Amino acid sequence: MARPQIVSLKEAIQQIKDGDMLTFGGFTVWRRPMAAIYELIRQKKRNLHLVEVNGGTHDDMLAGAGCVAVWESCWSGHELYGKYGANLARKIENKEILYEDWAHIHALYRLAAGAKGVPFLPTYSAMGCDMLNPANDNLGKAGLRDGSNRHIGKYKYITYKEPFTNSDILLIPAANPDWCITHVQMVGEEGTVRVDGLRFSDEEAIKASKHNIIIAEQIVPEEYLRREPTRNMLPGYFVDYIVELPWGAHPTGLYGAYEPDGPFINNFFNSTRTQEGFDQWAEEWIFGVEDFEEYLSKLGITRLEKLRANPALGYSSTLKRG
Amino acid sequence: MENKKKHSKIGEYKPMDLLACAAAREVKDGEVVFAGTGLPMLAIMLAQKTQAHTAVCIYESGSIDGRPIDLPTSVADARCSYQAAVADGLMDAFGQLQSGRIDLAYLGGAEVDKYGNVNTTFMGGTNGKRLTGSGGNTDIHSLAKRSVLIMPQINQKRRFVEKVSYITSPGWKFPHGPNREWTHKKEVYGSAFRGGPAAVITDMGVYRFDENGEMYLDTVHPGFTAEECRENCSFDLNISRVKGETPTPTYEELELLHNVIDPEKIIMK
Repeated sequence: MARPQIVSLKEAIQQIKDGDMLTFGGFTVWRRPMAAIYELIRQKKRNLHLVEVNGGTHDDMLAGAGCVAVWESCWSGHELYGKYGANLARKIENKEILYEDWAHIHALYRLAAGAKGVPFLPTYSAMGCDMLNPANDNLGKAGLRDGSNRHIGKYKYITYKEPFTNSDILLIPAANPDWCITHVQMVGEEGTVRVDGLRFSDEEAIKASKHNIIIAEQIVPEEYLRREPTRNMLPGYFVDYIVELPWGAHPTGLYGAYEPDGPFINNFFNSTRTQEGFDQWAEEWIFGVEDFEEYLSKLGITRLEKLRANPALGYSSTLKRG
Repeated sequence: MENKKKHSKIGEYKPMDLLACAAAREVKDGEVVFAGTGLPMLAIMLAQKTQAHTAVCIYESGSIDGRPIDLPTSVADARCSYQAAVADGLMDAFGQLQSGRIDLAYLGGAEVDKYGNVNTTFMGGTNGKRLTGSGGNTDIHSLAKRSVLIMPQINQKRRFVEKVSYITSPGWKFPHGPNREWTHKKEVYGSAFRGGPAAVITDMGVYRFDENGEMYLDTVHPGFTAEECRENCSFDLNISRVKGETPTPTYEELELLHNVIDPEKIIMK
């Protein structure tokens, strides 16, 4: 197994092709690989198929920028910083994006099954919900369950009368994205990954994916991480590309490092009520800067420093929130 | 400080205060509680500081039995994991839920119907207005032993409907099978049946579900009448079982909510 390559963000994102299936590490507005999202938009990726455990500011941004053809997940929004994902909502309402809604456990189990190498995982969640209503099998209704698309299976799910207790249970099919992009605090020179704080569903998303890009606040000597292997999440042979990019999750938060930039996300949400509003926002914050370094300069050190976490708490005790 | 246990009078608390207190009172000591972002976090933190000292809280992001000293603003907030027993991930949290370890869960919704079906996906069906989608709402609502919905009701009649326009989270009865006949949850879930919606708590009253799985008014908040609660529902709400007024917040509960749990006024604006 080849060692992961340490590359620039631009080089890493250039490996992703139009039409690829993508997933991301993190959870809603926490630990999202935002610098990579900006670069995907800057490189004008098209027809991406997102399969995510949950969405957030990042996938709404990709939807707004016209990068997404298919969205499969259970949620998109900005937590308390914006009521819903307005770009995604508009594209769904205008039928500009094909979407498949899942329960949270379904979305999780799709990647967990992919990570474990089994064709499905069973769950009781959530019999009776409309995500399971055949009328809402949108990929099926679009005629895409005929085997012509390598990312789309024959069935959305199967109801199975399991023989051990004679209960109905749902079989949720595996997903194996082409790429997972994950932002973490620390990666070793040989790719060992350490995540501080909650790991969310990163392990499932990463191990289900064929290729991985790890973006880290810091690249550290491999030996440093191997002193305490119980704190590590992933060995390096899962990783294709490593990018070092401090603040790379901004405006989402990073445990022990920085808070989500609430006003920034809220301003983004407010601008996304219309396509024109989003386009203007993207012109200013994505296309109007050369790269992530210029984006950070535009934000300024004063703004960023206010977000910095207190290492003893894992978050900032001085940030004004209310 | 006996005075602190006294109940406040109308005018001394806001509708949101009573909503949070009524929600907190649903927790029994020793229970395992699954909470979502917003008011649910206030409710569980208040319960832990009043009648349910040994209740523990878990969040779907993977934070297990945290002891936050500052109010989190999302279930993945670093504050959730402060002094947690375990900070892991979704496979653990949802596994605990599915195996029946969750006694009580707090949820919200854009629409609820008389069987406790919840909608957080589309207002007005799939051709209507798109909302956030389920998140963990459907998993938690369908697999917790008791779920408590927290929703605004004053001037929100359209949120309390005969049938939700999209079932994000199944309640006591919902369409099932090839003919989509309305079926009781027990019949559908079989050995995986854990419970279902226990209460809906609004800024007007506390609602529960009868043997048939239908919502009824249990207590009405001071300042409102049972009739007004029914008028603020789009379906014919059963008010025949109302047993009186919801106790107002105690001075201790108000002090905890405003000065201890949310002094930054993140939710309690």
